[in-house]
Amino acid sequence: MIKIEKSKFSVFIQNLVGDFTVFAPVGEGRQSAFDEVADAESVNTALQNTVQSPKSIFFPQTEVLFTYNDGDVQIPEAADKPFFLWGVRACDARSIMLVDKVFGRAKQRPDDPAFEDPYWKAKLDTAVILTLACNEPASTCFCHWTGDGPFEQAGDLWAVDVGSSYLIESLTEKGKAVLERIENASPAGKTEAAEIDSLRTQAESYLGDLVDLSELKDRMKQMWDDPAWDDIAAKCVNCGACAYACPTCHCFDVQDEGKKGKGKRIRLWDACMFPLFTKEASGHNPRGQAADRVRQRFLHKFSYYWDNYGESLCTGCGRCIYVCPVNLDIRTVVKRFLDIDAAV
Amino acid sequence: MSEFQPKILAILCNWCSYAGADLAGVSRIQYPPNIRVVRIPCSGRVDPLFIMKSLQSGFDGVLVSGCHPGDCHYLSGNYNARRKFAVLKPMLEYVGIEPERIQFSWVSAGEGERFAQVVSKVTEDLKRVGPAKRLVKGVA
Amino acid sequence: MVKMLRDTVRKLFDEKKVDMVIGWGEGTLPLSATPVFIENADEADTLIWDERCSNNLAVYLTKDKRHLVKSGKKIGIVVKGCDSRSLVLYAVENQIKRENLVVIGVTCDGVIDIKKVMKRTEGKEVLDLRIGDKDITVGGRGFETVVAKKEIISDFCLHCAHPDAPVHDLFIGQPRPANEKADVYKIVDDFEKLSADERWNSMVESYSKCVRCYACRNVCPSCYCNECFVDQNDPQWIGKSPEITDTLIFHMGRNMHVAGRCVECGACERACPADIDLLLLNKKIAKEISERFNYEAGLDIDEKPALASYCENEKQDFIMG
Repeated sequence: MIKIEKSKFSVFIQNLVGDFTVFAPVGEGRQSAFDEVADAESVNTALQNTVQSPKSIFFPQTEVLFTYNDGDVQIPEAADKPFFLWGVRACDARSIMLVDKVFGRAKQRPDDPAFEDPYWKAKLDTAVILTLACNEPASTCFCHWTGDGPFEQAGDLWAVDVGSSYLIESLTEKGKAVLERIENASPAGKTEAAEIDSLRTQAESYLGDLVDLSELKDRMKQMWDDPAWDDIAAKCVNCGACAYACPTCHCFDVQDEGKKGKGKRIRLWDACMFPLFTKEASGHNPRGQAADRVRQRFLHKFSYYWDNYGESLCTGCGRCIYVCPVNLDIRTVVKRFLDIDAAV
Repeated sequence: MSEFQPKILAILCNWCSYAGADLAGVSRIQYPPNIRVVRIPCSGRVDPLFIMKSLQSGFDGVLVSGCHPGDCHYLSGNYNARRKFAVLKPMLEYVGIEPERIQFSWVSAGEGERFAQVVSKVTEDLKRVGPAKRLVKGVA
Repeated sequence: MVKMLRDTVRKLFDEKKVDMVIGWGEGTLPLSATPVFIENADEADTLIWDERCSNNLAVYLTKDKRHLVKSGKKIGIVVKGCDSRSLVLYAVENQIKRENLVVIGVTCDGVIDIKKVMKRTEGKEVLDLRIGDKDITVGGRGFETVVAKKEIISDFCLHCAHPDAPVHDLFIGQPRPANEKADVYKIVDDFEKLSADERWNSMVESYSKCVRCYACRNVCPSCYCNECFVDQNDPQWIGKSPEITDTLIFHMGRNMHVAGRCVECGACERACPADIDLLLLNKKIAKEISERFNYEAGLDIDEKPALASYCENEKQDFIMG
């Protein structure tokens, strides 16, 4: 673990900008997001977390898969520089790994590289992710429910903001290679370790009560026809704000845009809340009612993904709670299914 | 360099303006060849989306023409259309689309001459403002 | 006030005048209230009414929730001025039977716009909220700020002419007459003075933030088409990606569809997860409707919406001579 004075932070970013496309939190309020930065000055270091999640770096809202012109098909060239992500929270770093389980290689065909998503992998495999410990979790955070925590180590590098400096530890070879670029960094010692411990204790004290989700997977399925879903759906207005803010929602649609044999095929975010989601060519929609689609969202997060990969597809970042226009709180929904006193 | 030739979508009502265009044709009245005509039952059928979608697809301008007030085959279609256009045109201008790109006129079945004048006017206007850039998909 | 509301609702259930009441309850975040659907007198105590109650509850009577209205149940609904205007609109457009609703008006001085609060706290999370008569105290880790209400209420509310439900069956408190509309269209007038380039660039900048989540559409009481034009895909009207021309056509199309039907509640702007200034375009339409047709939506149950009616001899300055 090394220590970088905050006064040297701009040197650190400058050092990376030549060889990496550097992404970091920028902007304020609901427009805060991970975006490309050219220098340390544009980084917003005061944010608890960005409202827009970093998933769009690896899974853009619109991505051109290929362009076509009279039978001539061109696949867009991959980015020339690898990505470096500064300041990802543990929940988001983990969410990228969760989506990687789907896009990185399909579970059903783990040995077949044809089932890897080349667009996702090209970006993620070379990327270096620096996770910044969360000194001050927000009131909407519930990462401890999903087996995570504000000081969990994730990604390639792990950093802690200790006031006047950042302590950075490498977790992977990729991370180590980046740390080796830093000149004149002082090693961190016992005082720093103690500092981290006290920050960790403080951060964890900000989190609310712990809820055990282990029974949730089966509960939700058993309660498939439960009137509880109607209560939840009654309030939901079926917009896609939660799905688009979510760092793990990864459903997409594929469309062709163009005319007369010339155009592009694009992949774009979809959301289970929309009436077109899973609508079939015949016009039939197995999830025709709003209530069906609301159930899909929660079952995908807490049941189906769990069946496939052994954990929940929610990392407790709390973004959906913040953006929901009717305050339909995912924590309340979960509690309701676990019979913990909570009205939806 | 040759002069810019705007591509114009003319949405004409079946009963008056389309017949007016027809009269212009059989009377051998000359007018610019820049319009592509779509015949609709009534100007009241025009959804504002038709107009925005045309601009997005690369038309430099859209002309909608119907029966004169009081002459609508369906009695009130053009009055309803007029209310829509009264909001649509200022709105498009407000977001920065040149007002010349969206034009409305009333042309009756007997006004072949007038139809030619309207098309000439719209074409000249659009030659002056030049090719559409805003709201055109892929360019903006 | 809240007590009167709860008592009124309890009485409605006791007298069997309603089967359900839609109102606002305590949310899970300090700045949020949440819609509640109560079905018996005991639940009346979950009702609240204050500056956080920003949703337009009329939305729960249409779209996928239409079954509530069709069930023939007597529904009580707590309304601000704007919400009541939506109900009038629904009656005009044959979406509801007025006699099946019990409209409970509350006095409204405007609702909080969370993004304005966040500006005041410089992005710091609000953990504590106290609402006073004229001001609101917000606090969080290591700060506490007192803000005057009028500085953090929604822009739509600042220009509101009918804060207290013009149409209601019961009213909690004393309804005030309509306000004189002061400076309502000033932002529109100012924007119109800019050059076409400036206007276009400003619109592009503003709407490029749109992520097309359709929160604005889905919280809008006037947007209740069975199938929205953006969801039509056979053939498809507009692209689904947040490409600027598609996004602008979505927003302009939506504004055209609610032209003369918009009750100016501002639910769209407060719901936007990308903080887009939706007011600017919305007010332009309102201005045209008001100046040309002298019409305001949702005030008169016997009057057709502006774009569904006409007058034979009206101004047609926008039509080629």
